[in-house]
Amino acid sequence: MELAEKQTPVLILGGGVAGLAAARELARRGVACVLAEREPVLGGRARGFACKATTACARCGACRVGDLLAELAARPEAELFTCAGAVAARRDRGRWQVELAPQPGEGAEPFPARALGERLALTCRAVILAVGYSPFDPRAKSRFGYGRVPGVISALELEAMLAQDTLAGPRGEPPRRVAFIQCVGSRDQSLGHLYCSRVCCGYALRMAGRIRHTWPESEVSFFHMDLQTYGRAWEEALPELRRQVHLVRAMPGEVTRGEDDTPQVVYSDPAGRHHREPFDLVVLSVGLRPPKAASALAEMFGLEPGPDGFLQDGPEVFVAGCAQGPRGIVESMDHAARAAAAALRLLDSGREAAHG
Amino acid sequence: MARVSLLWVERPGLEGLEPAAVARAAGVELNSGGPVEAAVVTCPAEEAPEPLRQRLAGKPVQWLELAAEVGGGDGAHRLARAAAAVARAAGRAELATLPPVYAPQPAQKVLVAGRGLAALAAAHEAALAGHPVLLAGEEPTRPGADDDPAEVERLAAGLPAGVELASGCTLLRLAGAAGDFRAELSRRGKESFGAVVLAPGGETVSCEAELALDWSWVRPLPELLASPPAGEQDRWLQVALLAGVSRPTTAGAFRRAVEAARRLQQGDFVQVTLFFREARVASEGGERAYRAARQAGVLAVRVPEEGLVVRDGGRRLRWHDPLLDEDLELAPDVLTTAWEARAARPEFLDDPVQWPAWEHLLPDNPRFSGGRTAVSGLYILGPLRGTPPGADRRAEAAAAAGDLHRLLSGGEVAPMPSVRHTYCARCLTCVRTCPHHALGHRVDRIQPAPAACQGCGVCAAECPAEAIAPPGWSNPELRAGLQRGLALAPDPKLVVFTCAGSGRGALDALARQAHTWPAGVLFYPVPCAGRVGLALVLKALELGARGVLVAGCHHGNCRSVNGNLRAQLRVDQAARLLESLGLRPEAVRFLPLAANQPRRLARAVEEMAQEVAP
Amino acid sequence: MIRLNQCDPAFKYEVAATPGGEGITTCFACAACSARCLVGELKPEYDPRRIIRLTLLGRREEVLSSPLIWLCSTCYSCAEVCPQQVRFTDVLTAIKNLAARAGYAPPSTRATARLLARQGRLLEVGEFENQKRSDLGLPQVEGAPEDFQRILGITPQAEPEEEA
Repeated sequence: MELAEKQTPVLILGGGVAGLAAARELARRGVACVLAEREPVLGGRARGFACKATTACARCGACRVGDLLAELAARPEAELFTCAGAVAARRDRGRWQVELAPQPGEGAEPFPARALGERLALTCRAVILAVGYSPFDPRAKSRFGYGRVPGVISALELEAMLAQDTLAGPRGEPPRRVAFIQCVGSRDQSLGHLYCSRVCCGYALRMAGRIRHTWPESEVSFFHMDLQTYGRAWEEALPELRRQVHLVRAMPGEVTRGEDDTPQVVYSDPAGRHHREPFDLVVLSVGLRPPKAASALAEMFGLEPGPDGFLQDGPEVFVAGCAQGPRGIVESMDHAARAAAAALRLLDSGREAAHG
Repeated sequence: MARVSLLWVERPGLEGLEPAAVARAAGVELNSGGPVEAAVVTCPAEEAPEPLRQRLAGKPVQWLELAAEVGGGDGAHRLARAAAAVARAAGRAELATLPPVYAPQPAQKVLVAGRGLAALAAAHEAALAGHPVLLAGEEPTRPGADDDPAEVERLAAGLPAGVELASGCTLLRLAGAAGDFRAELSRRGKESFGAVVLAPGGETVSCEAELALDWSWVRPLPELLASPPAGEQDRWLQVALLAGVSRPTTAGAFRRAVEAARRLQQGDFVQVTLFFREARVASEGGERAYRAARQAGVLAVRVPEEGLVVRDGGRRLRWHDPLLDEDLELAPDVLTTAWEARAARPEFLDDPVQWPAWEHLLPDNPRFSGGRTAVSGLYILGPLRGTPPGADRRAEAAAAAGDLHRLLSGGEVAPMPSVRHTYCARCLTCVRTCPHHALGHRVDRIQPAPAACQGCGVCAAECPAEAIAPPGWSNPELRAGLQRGLALAPDPKLVVFTCAGSGRGALDALARQAHTWPAGVLFYPVPCAGRVGLALVLKALELGARGVLVAGCHHGNCRSVNGNLRAQLRVDQAARLLESLGLRPEAVRFLPLAANQPRRLARAVEEMAQEVAP
Repeated sequence: MIRLNQCDPAFKYEVAATPGGEGITTCFACAACSARCLVGELKPEYDPRRIIRLTLLGRREEVLSSPLIWLCSTCYSCAEVCPQQVRFTDVLTAIKNLAARAGYAPPSTRATARLLARQGRLLEVGEFENQKRSDLGLPQVEGAPEDFQRILGITPQAEPEEEA
């Protein structure tokens, strides 16, 4: 099959928050770029996140995806493709030659992108990898009962429920007692994940607050080791959150199946007292792992792996967003600006034409 | 008044609608290629084909998200909705009374005031974006409090050609907004800039400044590390390291503290006890450093909720351990604390007339990332902004540079508000209420800054004399649109104002699901909910609406900082007015929502439609 | 009131240097072990986290002389869940060895050790047992535990103070 060919100054792999922000930065400077997203829709994981506002914005940043898409729709410099995946890359005379292949998938209209219809050989000067993260699979921490005890879900599943304005326990009814368990898959030497995923305290506390606000008859417990929330807004919000949510500084030993098939959280409180507490829903705050494509991309682009398996910059390759390490939505946008600026410096030094 | 033509662009969501029928019902002409005076187009500007955009350049055009406003339902229902929406837009287009505004060229020079990594990175990025930069400060190239000196040196050595370095030069006073900042610098006098970046390098401050410690006895951590002490076999040296006891410290400070603790613990017969409320390990390498410290033998003590009791300036520390149910006491031989980088607020920002209060200047708003402040064109970077766990000074600087370039590049015509000086009473309401500080008062005229206006329209809503508005968003135009649209909407008429920051996204999502709206609902997209104002709410009711719903962003999420709060205030005011007149205050309502909450909008509209039904 | 100045900072290093005790210092008090401890559920005074904390604080005498440290059932539930690989069961073995050396082994443990040292097995084999064995056609068992004693490095007649 013949390959269509295309030239562009910068190729961005990944159409989530970081990829879109990088495209926006480049487009704002009048630099053309091509963005390739594997899924049929743009927006990455953040697109499925719920608004967690209660009486005020919870500063999660999920709504920023819309801002990015709206701005990119009006900037013709950024050419966006969905259903597009990188399958091969090589360096040739100071340029990257990346082959994009159409990926399977159907979805809602991907505007402002279009689905990639044919294989494309792209020549570009710089590549930005914004391929995101992979959520930790809580089955690897089997003591928490995911997949075994009814009513145990991951935080991403909770996001999806809240995005639909629903909250359902294992039997479909709104749960009265909800537990959050933090640090699932993070801060864990036994798994080899000796890092903190940074965003889980924040996202879980926001969701806990949202649950208490929208379903006031619910009771929420929050099992944690430390709290990584930072900033004036959190300092102001925490006292009220402590009244709304029962914060327990203890890592549960396990989640077992109770008599009525509901999850029971077994923990020892800071005073050493044993508890076996029944809940209707247990939410596991899973950490952020390197993206599934990390090793394939590292090999494709000749990158050294980072300390925890995340991607690192390489020659003419810049990593943006969670692909480099766990960070929040708003942080990812700033981080993408850095990758875009680095790519621009490269173009500048090579005296590349600004429009590809 | 211009003659308005309807230009039909086929789009998903408009299937089954007959362009001629819609035009007829709306009372406008359907254009099929002839000359156009004013136009209503059935798609947003960015989705319109290029030839069409060129054809309409320079003419009054209303670009409609028609599919979003029409929604689903049967043929007759959709036709009626389409007609009302087109009529509303036509009402605005035909007025087009405000003259086109040409923005004066914004100043291109960028002032970066500060020192260290944040300032140097900002200077680099702004210069890279093509702007001449003045990097000014006492010692701009000296590392900031928590900077890596090697990285700072690298940046300082490689300053691009467009950066002018001015040492011994501090920013004394600042006024203005994007495109026209007026700065007064020591040893240089007054200069004009297009954008200003404040990036003080900060000082190292103990994170326990609030504790009653004897600071003459407390040893600074860097000093201890420079000459690590040692104990003796039968008398170990007890070192207490406070790393976030009065309140949790930053991740950077905690990491430095645990690394220092590990080094100190390796001294002979030294026992380091690390005290903290929360182990802040969210920085890169933070968890590893914490584990390494514990492995080396550092004792990690989590201070309980009631805190650490500090006696004799820190010579005796006592706390309760709930697990042991005992009080513990330590009399350290050496006491030290973690340190944070903190920058003092520049004094010139204290002027309450010139600048908003600090919490409003730096809102906790996720739309204000990348160094942005409420004032267009003013950026705050580095420790003055804060040190979150992933603090990446270079990333912030790159984002700020991208944003200031967008403002100053003039690539898009800035929607400068148009002022009718003969109407203006110089009350300065617009100057005071503009969330972006885009308006100033000079030479007895209201002067918009060349690149600061974000087009929110709050000035138009608040001005008592209808003397100012962003082009196309004046009260007369909006009223004309209301009149035309409400004339066509069936009873019970309900006007729903949706802001661009939230309502638009929600409407789009509902349109994709072909959501069916109640019959009399007339959508009115506005740039910001703050554009609506009291007069327009009341006008809608006067023109036949039984209810008015103003949908804006959640508190703390407004793209214009507090436009949503103004909208809420004005709606509340309208409700009180209605009540005092013996009418139902429930006829007007403000709904906070986000772009990703379509169901919330649908539900609120349904509720209101039922509320106002006869 | 516990005064840290009077505690022994060297104790945790002593435990860490004892085989099995290496992980003692990495504990970050997450409480997962305490939650799972079967003995702790029945006897709340027994809490792995509490033992670790007292060890890290340096309460040498209190820990070594505590009767609680002998209650571990070595079920390894704690070690299974520990996110920092403290391996508390092995740490406790190390602590028990130190306690035994310090003379704090409980009488039952000492008796067990004596039997092992003296005869190489817990169950005494005498005439009665040997008679039964010959009835079943099994070889006789002599009471000479020299091999076992050589492995343990103890002289036959000495009271075992060493390994518990």
